[in-house]
Amino acid sequence: MLSKLKTNTAVEIFCRVNILYCFITFISRTVVLAVILTAYYAGAIKAEDNKTYSNSQDFQFHGFISQGIIDVNGSDFVNDDGELSTELTEIGLNASYQLSDKFRLAGQVVYLDGGNRYEKGFRVDYALLDWSAYNSESWQTNIYLGRFKNNHWLYSSSRVIPFARPSIILPQSVYFDGFRDIAVGSDGAAVKISHSNDGLGNFDFTLSYGKSTVSNEQTDILLGDIAMGVAKQEYENHASVYWQPAFSPWRFGFSLLDSDFSYQKNEMFDFASDADFSFQFYTINAIYEGEYWEFSGEIYQQRFVTDGFYDPNFYKDSTGQGYYGQIRYKLTSDLTVLARYENFYLDKEDKDGYKLEQSTGGAVPYYFGFHKDITIGINYDITSDFSVRMEYHWVNGAGRLTPVVMPNTLINDSEDWRMWAVQLMYWF
Amino acid sequence: MTSQVSAIEVITHPQVAESSLTKSQLRRIYTMRQLRWSDNSAISVFVLPSRHNIHKRFAKERLQIFPYQLNRIWYKLTYSGLGVAPTIVASQEELIQAVNKTPGAIGYISDRVVTKIRRNKSTMSTLFPEMEDEQQFSSKGVVNVVKIKD
Repeated sequence: MLSKLKTNTAVEIFCRVNILYCFITFISRTVVLAVILTAYYAGAIKAEDNKTYSNSQDFQFHGFISQGIIDVNGSDFVNDDGELSTELTEIGLNASYQLSDKFRLAGQVVYLDGGNRYEKGFRVDYALLDWSAYNSESWQTNIYLGRFKNNHWLYSSSRVIPFARPSIILPQSVYFDGFRDIAVGSDGAAVKISHSNDGLGNFDFTLSYGKSTVSNEQTDILLGDIAMGVAKQEYENHASVYWQPAFSPWRFGFSLLDSDFSYQKNEMFDFASDADFSFQFYTINAIYEGEYWEFSGEIYQQRFVTDGFYDPNFYKDSTGQGYYGQIRYKLTSDLTVLARYENFYLDKEDKDGYKLEQSTGGAVPYYFGFHKDITIGINYDITSDFSVRMEYHWVNGAGRLTPVVMPNTLINDSEDWRMWAVQLMYWF
Repeated sequence: MTSQVSAIEVITHPQVAESSLTKSQLRRIYTMRQLRWSDNSAISVFVLPSRHNIHKRFAKERLQIFPYQLNRIWYKLTYSGLGVAPTIVASQEELIQAVNKTPGAIGYISDRVVTKIRRNKSTMSTLFPEMEDEQQFSSKGVVNVVKIKD
């Protein structure tokens, strides 16, 4: 009752500030857009003046801007009130500068607004020193130091780039938005070894070690408002191998992730206890890229161990599993349609979630134990740097909604929910 | 109706030592998996816009890869900080100029453009006003035309 009252008050206050908020959002986005366009045209004019090209690959400046509308009915995936939302903004600016023969600096700043999906605002997407440690005709070894991107899953490095990922909303079981800011990259070091062999094909091996800062809002997204303390990622070990047979349309990969988190309760006041979380994630994937058809899919297993949090003696070790399969077909060179099916459950011993409901005394309904999504979509490339995309999702289950640890069962009171979205994307 | 289909020629900067490349090498260079020439100098890759007919044909005929796959590889490099993608130039004329002026450069043009420039000295002097008349278009002249072996 108290929490219901709290929610109502919050909604009321939200409505009052909404108009002001929209105005501020609009102004700030216009300013950002103006800055990007000015920078872009300034760059273009400079290039026009100085057609020597000799430095063209030494300094590069690129970016993207996209805005969409999204409507979710039956869950708090984007917003709490279920209204049509413009919280689908993605802006990015990046630069790359070749310092010397072996060293390069690169960085990207992004602004994101996805409603409840992740924290709104600017973040450094990557900022790294790229050391080209060894180079030959068939081998490349690069060491990246700083903040680098997760390059291990099929779409992990392109999930930030609206026009480079396959759909507006990616399969949430792997590319869970609630976990985005931790999974998207790390502060640390990564090594990438690429080998190209005329007979056997292309091999890419990536190993990374690092951690991400967990912000207060990220803590709320994952653990819920009741967590007053500080969450930290202790480390993340990640490795992947990709293989593309010579001149083949197929590519295969697998990845292994091991990560530990800790939660330190607020000594003054906290509903939660100190906790250690351990997370392991394994994927195998395949993609086929043909002239008209494209198939891709990932199969994965995760292990999540909770030690503490709900109470000092709490211990849970659960294994979740899932997969998705995706088909894309090019109707024309500019028009692509997509269909995808995704199936994921948080505990392989409890695929229908009934044990979850039982163990929480009915507080968490069974449908929080899984997430199934049927998606159809269409993408139209208006020009080579301007696209529009539209998609529809039929979702069954609430297993990939935030907050994760303390689910919001008041808003997410139905097993089935739907969403559609339209997004315009421009890049340079 | 004898409109014969033109061939796509691969061109490099005059100082690039390689006079021929295998199909695999060319593919490695354009998918940014080979970044250096045999003398260890850096390769500068130039391309036409992805919708340009010559680009589409180059991708399919010379690299045996679809233009959308090249875009994906290049987007990934550019927008995730992993590396540097090729430089896009608007036209074949601009591409010849870029390859001529950039040490270690590689690009591609229609053989019709090669023939046109070789035959027509006025086109040549428009593109390269500083060039001496006696300089040849290819073989250590304006650009090298590289032979592609299977």
